[in-house]
Amino acid sequence: MNWLQRLFRTRRMEQQLDSELRFHFEAQVADKVRDGLPEAEARRTTRLEFGGIEQIKQECRESRGTLWIASILQDLRFGARILARSPGFSLTAILVLALGIGVNTLAFSLYNLIALQSIPVRDPQSLVKFERRSPENIQPGIPWNSIVFYRDNAKTLSAMMATLGGASLVLDHDEQRVNPNFVSANYFSELGASATAGRLFDASREDSAGSAPVVVLSYPFWQRRYAADPSIVGKTIHLAGKPATVIGVTSQSFANLGTRAPDVWLPLMQHTYFVDGSKQLDDPKFEGMIVVTARLAPGATIPQATQELLALTNQLRKLYPATIWDQEYIRVSPGAHFLQFDSHAYPILALAGLLVLLILAVACANLGGLLMARGVSRQHEIQIRLSIGARRSRIFRQLFTESLLLAFLGSIAALPISYIALRLVLVYVDAPTWMSAAPDWRVLVFTAVIAFMAALFFGLMPTLQMVKRTRGKTLAHQFVICAQVAASCVLLILAGLLVRATLHTIYTDPGFGYEQVLSVNPGLGAHGYTPATARAYLDQLQDRLRAIPGVSSVSLAFRPPLVNDGIMITSIDVDGHTIMIYPNWVGPEFFQTMGIPLLRGRYLRRGDKNAVVLSESLARKRWPNEDPIGKQWKDGKDIVVGVVGNTRAMELNNTDATEIYYPPTEEYLPGMFVLIKTAGAPEGLAPAIKSITANLDSKLFPTITPLKVGFRKNVAQVEQIATIVSLLGSIAIFLAVVGLLGLISYAVSQRTKEIAIRLALGADRTEIFSTVLRRIALPVLIGLLAGVGITAALSQVLRRMLYGVSGLDPISYLSAMTLLCVVLATAALLPIRRAFRIDIARTLHSD
Amino acid sequence: MTTHSKFDLPQGTLDLLILRVVALGPVHGYAIAQRIQSISKEALQVQQGSLYPALHRLENRKFLSAEWGPTETGREAKFYRLTKNGEAQLRVETESWARLTEIVGMILQHPQGEAS
Repeated sequence: MNWLQRLFRTRRMEQQLDSELRFHFEAQVADKVRDGLPEAEARRTTRLEFGGIEQIKQECRESRGTLWIASILQDLRFGARILARSPGFSLTAILVLALGIGVNTLAFSLYNLIALQSIPVRDPQSLVKFERRSPENIQPGIPWNSIVFYRDNAKTLSAMMATLGGASLVLDHDEQRVNPNFVSANYFSELGASATAGRLFDASREDSAGSAPVVVLSYPFWQRRYAADPSIVGKTIHLAGKPATVIGVTSQSFANLGTRAPDVWLPLMQHTYFVDGSKQLDDPKFEGMIVVTARLAPGATIPQATQELLALTNQLRKLYPATIWDQEYIRVSPGAHFLQFDSHAYPILALAGLLVLLILAVACANLGGLLMARGVSRQHEIQIRLSIGARRSRIFRQLFTESLLLAFLGSIAALPISYIALRLVLVYVDAPTWMSAAPDWRVLVFTAVIAFMAALFFGLMPTLQMVKRTRGKTLAHQFVICAQVAASCVLLILAGLLVRATLHTIYTDPGFGYEQVLSVNPGLGAHGYTPATARAYLDQLQDRLRAIPGVSSVSLAFRPPLVNDGIMITSIDVDGHTIMIYPNWVGPEFFQTMGIPLLRGRYLRRGDKNAVVLSESLARKRWPNEDPIGKQWKDGKDIVVGVVGNTRAMELNNTDATEIYYPPTEEYLPGMFVLIKTAGAPEGLAPAIKSITANLDSKLFPTITPLKVGFRKNVAQVEQIATIVSLLGSIAIFLAVVGLLGLISYAVSQRTKEIAIRLALGADRTEIFSTVLRRIALPVLIGLLAGVGITAALSQVLRRMLYGVSGLDPISYLSAMTLLCVVLATAALLPIRRAFRIDIARTLHSD
Repeated sequence: MTTHSKFDLPQGTLDLLILRVVALGPVHGYAIAQRIQSISKEALQVQQGSLYPALHRLENRKFLSAEWGPTETGREAKFYRLTKNGEAQLRVETESWARLTEIVGMILQHPQGEAS
C-alpha cells in the first residue's frame, strides 16, 4: 500500500482503528467485571486508565505515516480558512508577494531566454561561435581566406556556416527596403530548417559565385510583402536593381541563429552580384564582417577545436602574412544559446540578481511585519491550542503551512505578472519570434524555489515568535522601515525627474532646427566609392539638390543628428578633467541648414583646412576665461575659427553636450550624409531626390529620412523610461505602505493595554497618538534624508538621461517627498484609529 | 487499581517485547498487553497509549501483518501475526539486546566502575 492508496482508504482505516480500540476497552471492562467490579465502576476505571482515546488514535495515525500528507491537507484547509477569514490581509499579502516574486521571475525568465534556453535549431549543443583575437585586437569577423582554410582542414569541426549582414536593399520599386542576410549555402541544411514553400539553399547549387542568383524569403516577410502567396516561388524579383529568382520561403518556426530573421537570405557567394561595386570576398580589403558559426565534429570538444584552429592559423600566417595578426587565435565559444555570457559579465549579472532579490527581501520583510502584527492577535488562539495539548512543533508546522500557502498563492499571482511584463519587454526590444514569454519548466522551478525561500524569509520569524512568545526586535523593524522609505523616496524622485525631463524634451528647443530637414544617406562606402569618386558624386548631388525649388540649403555631414545609429566620441584632457566630445565632419553650409547660430568668429568655409568650430559648451570648458578664436586645438594643427550654439544633436538629453566640427577630410567622404533644408514641408521632396540620385548612379539606392522621425523616436524612448520608473515608484510606495502598516499595527497591538489604561485614566487621544507616531517618525525621517541623498548622487550618473532638467530639480524632490509623506501618514492612521476604537473594559479584563 | 510500573521502557524495547509476544502466534492488542503484564509478573504494564502506536508502526514497517477475526468470546478483533521481515527483525533485535545487556552488565560489575 502506498501513501496514496492509504489516503483514499482513510475512512476504512479510521473505522478499524476505532473498533480495535473499542475492543480493547470492552475486553478490559469485561475482565474487571469478571474480577467482581460492578459494570459502571469497571467502565469508569477503564476510561481513566485509557486516558485520551483521541490522543491514542492520533498517535496511531502518526505512526502509520499516513499522517504527513493527511495532516498537511488538514493544515492547508485550516490555513485557507484563516486566510479567507481576513480577505483584506490575504489580498495585500498575496499582492506584495506577487510583486516581489514576479520581479524575480521576470529577471530569471529573461536570463533563461537569452542564456539558458537552447536556440531551436538542429542539435544546438554542438554549435560554436568564432571570434578572432590577438593580444591587441578583438574582432568577430573572420577573413574569407581563413574561413576556407579552416573549413577544408579542421578535423574537429563537422561544418562551418558563414553569415554576413548587409545594408538594406531596395526591392523592386518599394518605398520600404528589405534587410538581407548573406549566408553560406549550407546554412539552412546545417540548422535543420525546412521550407514552407519551394526550397532553401542547397550546398551543391548555391556554393559558387557563378550560380544563378537566388533569394529565400523569411516567413514574416513573405506574409507581409506577398500576402503569403505561394506562387511567388519561381518568380524573379529585383534587389538593388539586380534580378534574382525566389526559390523558397522558410518555415514559420525557423529561428535563424537565434537572432531576428532578416527579410531575405541571399547566397554569400553572390554578395558581389547584389552589392554593386563591393570587393570580392577573398580580397583582404573586403569591407564586410563575415561571422562564423561552426559545428563540432562528434566527440570533439571546444578546447580541442581551439588547439587545432590555433595550429591552422599559424599555417595560414605563412600563406597570408599580411592578413593574419601577430599571435592571432580563434576564440571558440558555445553557440547553443542566444547569448553566451563572458566571465567578466558575471559581476553585472550578480548585481542584477542581487537587486531583484533585494526587492523580494523588502517585500518579505514587509509581509513579515504584517504577519507579526497579526500574530499578536492570534496569540490567544495559539495559547488555547497549546494548553489543550498541541505540541509546539505541530503549531509551528501549521503556521508555517499558512506561510507556504501564502507564498504559493503569491507565486501563482506572480506568474501572470511576469508573463505580461516579459511579453511587453519582448515586444519592446523587438525580440526574435522564437522567444516565448510563456514560462518553461526552469522558470516554474525557479518560481517555486523563490516562493519557498520567500515563505522561509517572511514566515519563519513571525512564526517562531508566535510559538515562542518572544518580543520582536523593534530596532530591526525600524531599520526595515528606514530602508523602505529611502528606497521609495529614490524611485519617486527619479520618476518625477524623468517625467519632467520628458516634458522638457518635448517642449523645448533642441538647439537646432529639425522640422524641415531631410537626411539622405547615399551609402557610397558600401558600393566601392573612393574618396575621389565620392567627392565628385557629392558635389554633383548637392548642386542638383540646390536646384530643386523649395530647397533652401544643402550640406554634408558625417554624423547627421537624430538619424544615425553610430556615435563617435573623442576626448581631451583639460587640467586633469576629461571632456567627452562628439566630433563631426561637416560641409560649410551645415550650420545654416541645421539652424545653429554663430556666436563668435566665423562658420567653416569651403576649402577650409586645419580649421575647427567649437560648440559654446566646449569652448567654455576648454578655455573658461579666454577668447577661443585663433587658439590651437589639441596638437596645434587645427585653429579654432568659430564658436556656435550648443546643440543636443547627438544627445537629445544633454544641454551641455560638447561638440567639435571639422571640415570634411578625404577619408570621411565615402561615409557622408547629405542634409537638405526645405522651405515648406520636406516630405514631398523624396521623389525629386530619388530621380536625381538614380540619374547620378543607378546602382545606389539612398535612404531618405526626415529628422522629425528620428526626433520622435528619441522622445518615445525617454517616455518609456519615465513610464517604467513611475511604475517602479508606485510599486515602491505600495510596499512602503504595507511595511509601515505592519510596523504600526504591531506597535499599536503590543500597546493595546497601555493605550486602554491611558484612555481609562482620561488621557488625551492626541497625546497617545503622538507617542505612537514618535516611534516611527525617526526612521521615516532618516529614510527620507537618505533617499534624497542617494538620489542626488544617482542623478549625477543619470544626468545623460535627464533631458534638460537639473538632477537636483526642487519640484521633483519636493513633490515626491510630499506624496510619500501623505501616503505614509495615511498608512499610519489606519491602525491607530483602530486602537482608539478598542473596548476599554474588555481589554482591561482580558487575561 | 493495579499499580503502574515505575520503569520507563528504553526506547525501542516495547517493539521488541511486542514482536516476541506476537511470535508465539496470532494475537490481538489486548492480549499482547495482558501477556506482557502476566509474563513480567505484573512488573510491566503496557499503556494503550504506547501499545497501539507501536503496533501500527510495526505494521507499517511490515514487521507485523494484521487481519480481523473472531475471538474466543465471539467478538471481532484485529489479530497481529509476525511476517518474514518481523521474524528477522526479532532475531536481530534479540541479539543486539543480549549484547547490550551483556556489555552494560560488564561495565556495571567492573570493580573500578570504569574500564582501565
